[in-house]
Amino acid sequence: MDQHEFNRRFFLKGLAGITGAAMAGYVPGLSAAEAEELRCWFSGIAKVGAKDFSAMAAHAGVELAVTTKSARADEAIQKMVVGDGNKLFDALTDNGGGMEDALASQKAIVPLDVSQIPNWNNILPMYNEGGLSADTVRYDGKIYAVPYISNADSMAYDYKALGFHPDSWGVMFDSQFKGYVALQNDFGPTLTNMACYLKGSGQVEIENVGDMKPDEVKAVCQFLIKYKKKGQFRTFWDGFQNGVSLLASGEVLMSSCWEPVALVANKKTGDKREILYGTMKEGHQLWNNVVMLSKGGRKRGADALFYKLANVYLSTWFGANTLKSYGFAPQMTGVNEYMDANPDEFDGNTRKVLQQRLADKNARYAVKGNAWQNVFPTHLRAYQDWWARLQAA
Amino acid sequence: MAVSHAKHGQPLMGGSRNITASPDRWRWLTGEDGLQKWVFYIPALFMVFFFIIPLALTMVWSVFERTRFWMEPGFTLFAYETFFTSARAENYLFSMIHSAWAVAISFVIGFPIAVFVRRRIPQIAQHRVILLFILPFMISELVRVFALRPVLGRHGLINNLLIQLGIIDEPISVILFTPVGVVIGDVLSFLPFMVFAGFLAMEAVQKYVFEVCDDLGASALRTFRDVIIPLAAPGIFAGGVFIFVNSLGGALVPTILGGPGAVNAGMIVNQAIVAVDFPLAMAISTIMIATMILLLYIGHRVFDLTKILEPIQ
Repeated sequence: MDQHEFNRRFFLKGLAGITGAAMAGYVPGLSAAEAEELRCWFSGIAKVGAKDFSAMAAHAGVELAVTTKSARADEAIQKMVVGDGNKLFDALTDNGGGMEDALASQKAIVPLDVSQIPNWNNILPMYNEGGLSADTVRYDGKIYAVPYISNADSMAYDYKALGFHPDSWGVMFDSQFKGYVALQNDFGPTLTNMACYLKGSGQVEIENVGDMKPDEVKAVCQFLIKYKKKGQFRTFWDGFQNGVSLLASGEVLMSSCWEPVALVANKKTGDKREILYGTMKEGHQLWNNVVMLSKGGRKRGADALFYKLANVYLSTWFGANTLKSYGFAPQMTGVNEYMDANPDEFDGNTRKVLQQRLADKNARYAVKGNAWQNVFPTHLRAYQDWWARLQAA
Repeated sequence: MAVSHAKHGQPLMGGSRNITASPDRWRWLTGEDGLQKWVFYIPALFMVFFFIIPLALTMVWSVFERTRFWMEPGFTLFAYETFFTSARAENYLFSMIHSAWAVAISFVIGFPIAVFVRRRIPQIAQHRVILLFILPFMISELVRVFALRPVLGRHGLINNLLIQLGIIDEPISVILFTPVGVVIGDVLSFLPFMVFAGFLAMEAVQKYVFEVCDDLGASALRTFRDVIIPLAAPGIFAGGVFIFVNSLGGALVPTILGGPGAVNAGMIVNQAIVAVDFPLAMAISTIMIATMILLLYIGHRVFDLTKILEPIQ
């Protein structure tokens, strides 16, 4: 359902509600009746199928009214904490590892009863083993979020041009590739990945890569400034198509990026280049996206619908398909088995490619120096200020 | 059927129905004390609600205390201190310099086009020719700017052509992902502003002025420098302001054509918002507004901007 349809339904429902209230003599919304449709504020990638959320709705057996959202933290905070998000939406998606804490601390989302989600039993063990992975879906010890995709951000490279498979971020600072390197124009993933490299290669002592102290942020940025001044970087990219175009056109030979950028760039470039996604021995930034139930959604009795949809997000059908279409890591076990059991959906060659993709992901996840994304690091101001200095250099 | 040209207050047609066309019925709207006179206050109300109040709120919020995810009432100049003591002020200054370059180059290219159209194209066709400059605006700016990448890139049209012609051996990389790339993008995006404003400004230069210059034997360059430019200066300044503001605030060009970490003032604000630092974003916005007001004030003092409307008057 698109925005127009969403608004039309909202209008018609509102009109019907007002008419009904006038006839019955009471105000709708005060009763605790269960919601009939789930109003979602979701990222466009939280679905199977290129067009809309109809496949998701069909699998969940839930009517969905979806408004698409960006992944910007400020947008979610403004809408859900100080805006009218809780009036408008029952469920929303966002980054784990920070946003669930921010929204839960402001009471914009509610804790979940995961016993209502049968597929929670299949969730990746890391979410129940404590530590940072488990924290990305919890606040104050309670589960507030259901993960639907995750990944380890790494480096894409043109294998045909390089002639070897880089296994270290260090190749980005090799003088022979001066002017042919791009970084993501976002201080979160870029500084975290570079901190992984500097720590992993023993160049800078960093206690917690995911939550650096001001001196550590400074050291990472000074390192980048040094190479920026040498002309090592062609650009810092922003926006999916921008990232794809840089690699596909041969403007750069390597770039830190999301995995789908590498996949699409490789498709786009045909036989000219071979864009691959590497595994870096020093570590990567890990991140996930989660789906959450809003306070307003619970008030409107949307729990049951939310749990049905959350169950689909943790199904192997969703995991296998999101691995295939976007290249993101599934959040549940049993994906290979699902693909083997459904040869009509995943033919032999596709299965082979996806199984290799999944194995590569597992290899990236296994790197010791990885760090989970932290949307709101303790010294956020230092990150911002030093990023501005890097831009000005 | 006879048509009755009824006088005011008289029935329009015969019969028992008393249908009148009395102006009294509409006096509440069109009369001297009617609502009509308030219509003229609508633009003022629009300005108050959509310009003055947001502007005032921007300034007020810029001195609020930042909380973890929002802000709370208070008075602190911390956001301004952060701006001026961090590299943001430096980035802002660079952005102003790049914008000034975009204005200067747009003037050099765009104003002669306006003069040419005004002087050489038959009057009946002038507006149609000028309308041609609107055509690029029919295409999304994102598409227009992105389309420059395959032109300016290492393996782009310009480099391939120059290499094939044997003029260069290695691709020129300075025209993309550098401040030069940003200025090129700004000029190509905003050049029509200079052409329109220049064309309008040329309305103030009467045809006989050119004839007098010719009669006095002034060269084309001297006529342009000493006669046309001073007379059209307010319009040129207005066109320059449009370009400067767009170049300073629009994120698209530096994002797509800029080098590592390229930013302009608009992007600095955006980055503060993304980091949920609303007082800082408001402070930078306030500084941008102050810059614009100062610029307009200087422009008005030097060029008397009311002259822009003289051709219309």
